[in-house]
Amino acid sequence: MIPGLAEILLFQGLGELVSHLFAPAIPGPVIGLVLLLAFLCIRRGVDSDLAGVAAAFSRHLGLLFVPAAVGVVLLLPELRAAWLAIAAALITSVVLTIGVTGLLLHGLAGDAGKGD
Amino acid sequence: MTNVAQIWVYLSGSPLLALALTLWAYRIALLISARLGGHPLANPVALAVAFVALAITALGMPYAKYFEGAQFVHFLLGTATVSLAVPIYQGLAALRGKIAALGIALVAGGVTSIASAVAVARLLHADRLIIGGLYAKSLTTPIAMGVAERIGASPSLTAAYAVTTGVLGAVLGRFVLNGVGCRAWWQRGFAIGVAAHGIGTSRAFAVHPEAGAYASLAMGMHGVLGAVLLPWLIGNA
Repeated sequence: MIPGLAEILLFQGLGELVSHLFAPAIPGPVIGLVLLLAFLCIRRGVDSDLAGVAAAFSRHLGLLFVPAAVGVVLLLPELRAAWLAIAAALITSVVLTIGVTGLLLHGLAGDAGKGD
Repeated sequence: MTNVAQIWVYLSGSPLLALALTLWAYRIALLISARLGGHPLANPVALAVAFVALAITALGMPYAKYFEGAQFVHFLLGTATVSLAVPIYQGLAALRGKIAALGIALVAGGVTSIASAVAVARLLHADRLIIGGLYAKSLTTPIAMGVAERIGASPSLTAAYAVTTGVLGAVLGRFVLNGVGCRAWWQRGFAIGVAAHGIGTSRAFAVHPEAGAYASLAMGMHGVLGAVLLPWLIGNA
């Protein structure tokens, strides 16, 4: 677990560095993600330790955004005032996004690879 | 009585209380979600957020104080974001022969997600704060919060929208996809991943492994593309 975590922290650090120096608009971790992806493509494989750490993170990703998400309680008055606009925006957006993406894929590729 | 007060002063000054509260809230939320068969409406993050919010209100603990302690968990978000490179890499093989269709669908889906959310919110006279959180809400939550910080939106609000969007996508996706006649598992999965990131992806995995793989790929691609393009788009808007 330690080698994998050390590797990820290294790429996170590199990402922060690149973000600071060249691309302040892009979050450092996202640049770190792209750099790690490039590294994996060059090395042609994920070692099992790194894969284990990544799997642990993705299994419990939800836990990590609890502290920040709790901050929404500070915005409750604003949310209460605008709840209809928010609900309408979120529902419309998710329905249209799934519809447009699904329709386009269906139109471009047909039923190729249709499941069981 | 003084002893209890002293212990309380000590606890509320150390990260222990906030960390324990976060972990236990999440643990109980996971148990409840599992008990309800993992239904998307019983989302463990939403439940955990509600539990922590209730607990800190009951304890009279200011949010800033809670966050000061819980920031150790929060810090790992960046690390978890970097580790998303692994599932994306493992999904790259699935792109073969489909990259053009997936690329077009991803861009169209991403634009639809932002444009429709912002248009509806504006139409209903929502203010800047409320609308600001909508831009990044279809990205995977850790990336969405990072982007929100860069574009001057509230990361907390963005996280709340992102979780809600994920739940809505996981619940409504099936009906929308049936409605537009999209039947292939890879297409269904990809559409859910673009719109509803991680929560949609875990729903897709529960339905069919191929749908899950493409949903996870869509979530990763959308996250990276959104993080690169959103600050630029908003800077030029």
